[in-house]
Amino acid sequence: MQLAARHLSKAYGYFWALRDVNLNIAAGECVALLGPNGAGKTTLLKLLAGLIYPTSGEIQINGTALSRTSTTLRSTIGFLAPGEHLYDTLTVRENLDFFTALYDKNIEGSAIASTLNAVGLQRWSGAYVAALSSGMKFRLSIAKWQLLEPGLLLLDEPYGVLDGSGIDLLENFLQAQCRKGSVVVIASHHISRVMQLCDRALILHQGKLTFDEPRQQPWDSFHRAFSEFLPRGPS
Amino acid sequence: MRILKQTFLLLRKDLLLETRRRESLLTMFFFGTLLLFVFHFSFDLTPERVAEMAPALLWLAFLFTGTLGLAQLFEAERSNHCLDALLLSPMDRGALFLAKVCFNITLMVLVEIVVIPLFWILFNLRSWELIPLLFLMALLGTIGFCVLGTLLSAVTLKARARELLLPLILFPLMVPVILATIRCMESVLRAGAIGDAAPWLRLLIGFDVIFLTLGVLIFDWVIDV
Repeated sequence: MQLAARHLSKAYGYFWALRDVNLNIAAGECVALLGPNGAGKTTLLKLLAGLIYPTSGEIQINGTALSRTSTTLRSTIGFLAPGEHLYDTLTVRENLDFFTALYDKNIEGSAIASTLNAVGLQRWSGAYVAALSSGMKFRLSIAKWQLLEPGLLLLDEPYGVLDGSGIDLLENFLQAQCRKGSVVVIASHHISRVMQLCDRALILHQGKLTFDEPRQQPWDSFHRAFSEFLPRGPS
Repeated sequence: MRILKQTFLLLRKDLLLETRRRESLLTMFFFGTLLLFVFHFSFDLTPERVAEMAPALLWLAFLFTGTLGLAQLFEAERSNHCLDALLLSPMDRGALFLAKVCFNITLMVLVEIVVIPLFWILFNLRSWELIPLLFLMALLGTIGFCVLGTLLSAVTLKARARELLLPLILFPLMVPVILATIRCMESVLRAGAIGDAAPWLRLLIGFDVIFLTLGVLIFDWVIDV
């Protein structure tokens, strides 16, 4: 899986949320997407997911442009955000059955049960999603994407609701996905956490990509770039 | 075939959610029967006069109850951004349109199964043998209502005050369907057959087919508005 964005811009009315973003992400790369609130991180993730369309520019997945009609490409894109994309009045198991069927995945019941076991939700398989805590819902989302195996996985602020073992679970899953050649993009404000996991950092500021460096580069440049956007305390 | 499989999957999910929440159907049942009682106590009509007015009164009840159903149509998808989850999936978006149309038709037919016989009882009508044909005409009108209503419900999905906006857009566009259905039902009640209402029946079937096809083709754009 390879991901490329060419001159990507997105305007909401007169407000430009993203301006001329160019990206190339190779297979197996795990990328941190950083920046202050309102920098355009979620907009970029939604564009990459095909949930919204760019005002100008293009997104390519494995060299093919992402468009409204790209149903095959859409089957390779996963989006993980806390508490989202699950039906509250379906049970844990029914949610997984529904989404695996929607993605045309023929997954055996035992595989679903073992995935639920792996994320610590086997006991809750008959419970309505509405009855789960935020952390448990997020674990269910992890289980969902473990079963669907996307080639491109986009995460929006994943660390807020997970406990210690949940974070380990998430990071093990993401590392496994990267080893399989998937692209992982994580938008987060937990900089130290996300930088331990990712190979590369992108910083967005006022809709522009201002920093794009691999983690191996001296950390000074990264800190210098990011410190401009950190909130300053009273002097 | 893939689109039909996806439609069935989405419809099954919607029916399962409705059996658990019982929000739309109960509200529609209650409102539909309430309207009939209001009509019953408001109009002091002879059975002959009622037979003339029955199609219009019934359609008034169906329109209002149906609009309640349309307002709730995408509620399950609005919570937890589930619509995004569906749009993210490789599902044909026409399948989502078809599933929502079928779901809304199911709800309205269930309401009509109760409302039409109740109307006959309340207004002491004797022509029970006409009910199957009358129901068939109502079904054709219901399909037109649900097809156009689902399209417009999706258009107004992200609008503020969508519950107010939806009937304002829907009712004027529904005029051909309402007129055609009422004329066909009148003809059935008067003559026991379609008879001279055949052109209206053709208009009704044409409307259903054209907007159903159009809906499947353009829903991808409509849902992104």
